[in-house]
Amino acid sequence: MWLVRPAVPDDVGQILEVAGAAGSETARLSSTLPRQRDALAEKIELSLASLDGKPTTTGARPQRFLFVLENTSTGRVHGTAGINACAGNSQPFYNYRRDALIHASHELGISSRVDVLYPSHALTDHTLLCSFSITPELRNTEAFELLSRARILFIAGHRDWFASRVAVEIQGVQLSDGSVPFWDSLGRHFFNMDFETADQYSGLLSKTFIAELMPPNPVYVTLLSDAAQSALGQPHALTVPNLELLQREGFQAGCYLDIFDGGPVLEARTDALHTLVTSYPKILHGSSEEDGDVCLISGGEGAGFRCTLAKATEVLGGTRDREAVKVPVSVWELLGKTAGDEVRVAPL
Amino acid sequence: MLLIRPLQESDLDDLYAMAQKAGKGLTTLPADRDLLQRKINLARETFNQRCAPEAGLYLFALEDTETGKAVGISGIQARVGLDEVFYNYRLSVTVNASKELGVHVRTPTLHLTNDMTDTSEICSLLLSDDYQGGGNGLLLSRCRFMYMDEFRKHFSEKVFAEMRGVSDEQGLSPLWDALGSKFFDMEFMEADMLSGLGNKAFIAELMPKFPIYLPMLPDSARAVIGRVHGNTAPALKMLEAEGFNFNGLVDIFDGGPVVEAFVHTIRTIRDSRNRHAMVTRKAVNLDVPAAERVMVSNRSFRNFRVTTVPASCVGVDTISLPPDVAEALQIESADPVRLAPLKDRAKTTVKPAG
Repeated sequence: MWLVRPAVPDDVGQILEVAGAAGSETARLSSTLPRQRDALAEKIELSLASLDGKPTTTGARPQRFLFVLENTSTGRVHGTAGINACAGNSQPFYNYRRDALIHASHELGISSRVDVLYPSHALTDHTLLCSFSITPELRNTEAFELLSRARILFIAGHRDWFASRVAVEIQGVQLSDGSVPFWDSLGRHFFNMDFETADQYSGLLSKTFIAELMPPNPVYVTLLSDAAQSALGQPHALTVPNLELLQREGFQAGCYLDIFDGGPVLEARTDALHTLVTSYPKILHGSSEEDGDVCLISGGEGAGFRCTLAKATEVLGGTRDREAVKVPVSVWELLGKTAGDEVRVAPL
Repeated sequence: MLLIRPLQESDLDDLYAMAQKAGKGLTTLPADRDLLQRKINLARETFNQRCAPEAGLYLFALEDTETGKAVGISGIQARVGLDEVFYNYRLSVTVNASKELGVHVRTPTLHLTNDMTDTSEICSLLLSDDYQGGGNGLLLSRCRFMYMDEFRKHFSEKVFAEMRGVSDEQGLSPLWDALGSKFFDMEFMEADMLSGLGNKAFIAELMPKFPIYLPMLPDSARAVIGRVHGNTAPALKMLEAEGFNFNGLVDIFDGGPVVEAFVHTIRTIRDSRNRHAMVTRKAVNLDVPAAERVMVSNRSFRNFRVTTVPASCVGVDTISLPPDVAEALQIESADPVRLAPLKDRAKTTVKPAG
C-alpha cells in the first residue's frame, strides 16, 4: 500500500535516488529539494523539528515540512512533497509580478499595452507547497494524487500552523539542451552564472544573493528575447500533470512568476482548497472486507501524521458531530490508529 | 561678403528650401513652412525683447550680402524644458555584487532624465551645400558663442548640443529599432519628426519610464549609444575643439551623445578680444584663407552682426575695417567691436588689448 509519512533521516539515500536519479528526465528540473546529502539531511532534521513544534535557536517556530511516499510492501520511497508554512522563512520571498501599463497618447491616437515585470515580495509569508518529486512511472496515478493531496490534509489537520493563502511555484520552460530562455534573457546578465548554478544556490544559500544580484528595477517584457517572452508563465512539460492536479485542487495561476525560469506561481485561498473543503473528521471503525470508494485517509498529529489510500464506507455509530467510517483493519496499523480514534477522510 | 545677422521675416523661403534639401536628421529644423514661420516669429520676438529672456530662441542667418539670400542658419535656445519636458537617457551603471558568491556584475543602464532642463542649447545648425568649406561652418557655429558671451545673463552657465546619432541611409536607427519602436509603434523618422515639430507630449506619454538594462538590447543597438552619425563627426570635432565634452546623456531616439561646456571655458570666448573699429579708406584684400581671418562682431543685442576679416586688419587697440564691412556690421569708427579667431591658427595673430 501507499503511505505518505514525514521524512526521517534514514530516507536520505532513497530520496537522493528519487530526486536526482542519474539520467532521469526529472533530474534537471529545478526543485527546492536539495541534491546534496548534507543539505538534505539538514532539511529532514528541520522537518522533524517543525513537526515536533520545537522552537529553533532564533526562537521562531520552524515551519518546513517534508513528507515521503512509501510503498509499504517494499519499504521503498518513491516521492517527496513539502510544505513551507511561511514563504521566505522570515526573509523576503522573491517573485516577478507581471503587470501592465497603458502607454497612451491622446494626441496621436495611440494606446498600447506595455507589460512590465516588477520585483515583488507580495507572496512572502504565504504558505508554500514545494519539494514535489515522484518517480516517473507513478506520475498520474493514485499514488501521485495521494502524495500531492496528503499535504492539504496535513494543513487541514493543523490549520492554525498555516497562512490564509497558499502558493506553488511551477517549474518553467527549459529546453532539451538544458538552457532556460527566461534566465538567459534576463537573470544571466545580472547573476553572471548559468541557470543550474543559480538554481542550486537558491536551494542552498540564504536568499541574500538574490537581493544582491537581482535587477533592482522593473523590466519591460518587450525587451526580453522572443523565446523568453513566450516562456513567461508557461509550465515545464513534465510538470503538466502536477499543474493539472493542483488546478483541480483550486489553484490558479495569477500574476506572479518565478524569478529564475519565469514559470507560473499558482495561488489559492487555503480554506477554499478542494481537499480541505471536502474532507471531514470521522471516527474510525473496523472492517474485515474491502468495501466502498477509495478515499484519502489521514490521521495523527505532527510527526505522527500518516496518510494513505483506502476503501471506506460510512457507518452508523459516530458521535454527535462526527460520522463514523469503516476501513480495513490493515489501514489502522498504517495510520497508527485504532477503533474510536479520529481520522480525516477526503474523496479521491 | 558673408554676414551673420538675426533671422528675418524675409528668410522664410530660403530657410524652407534649405530644410527641404537637408532632408532627415535635423529635428530642430524640419521642412515645414508653418513651423519655420513660427520659429522666425519667435526669433523676432526674442531679438526685440518682447518675450522673457529664458523663453528666447536666438536664430541667426548667414547671409550672402551679394545676393541677399540666407545660406545658413544656427541658433541658441535660451533654456530647454521650461514649457515642455526635455528628455534624455543618462548612460549609467548598475552594479550587483554578492560577496558570498564572489560575483560582481556591472550592467550599463539607461535612465530617463530631464537633466538638461533650464540649460541653454545650441541648435539648428544648417549650411547650404554651395557654401560648405572656407570656414563658413565655423563662422555659423562660433558666432553663437560670441553672442552668448556678450549677453551672458540671458543664458545658463552651461551650454549643450545634441549630436545626431547613428542611422542608415534609409533613416533607420538601430537603437530606435531595438528600443523606441517597441513602445511607439511608429517609424523612427515619424517619431523624430513629431518631436521636431514640437509634439513633445507624446514622448512623455509613450516612453518607457523604468531604466533600460543594456544587456537586454541587441549588440547593434548597444554599439550606437553615444555615437554620432558620420555626417555629424566634423561638427562634433569642432565642438570638442571648443571645449565641449560628452556629458553622459544620449538622445532617447537614436542614442546620439549630448556634449556640453561651461560658457566661460569655451575657446572662442576665452580667445575673444575687444577692439575699437577704425573705418579705413585703404584698400583691404578680404579674400584670404579662413586660417588668416578673424571673426568680428558688433555688440548689439537686437542687430547682432558678425563677419570675418583678414587677421592683418587687427591692430593693438583697433581694427581697421573697410567701409562696406563697417556698414554691414552697422558700426562707425570708434565703436567697440569684438574679435575671435575663426580657425585655431589665427589665434596667435590676435594679441590681448593694451
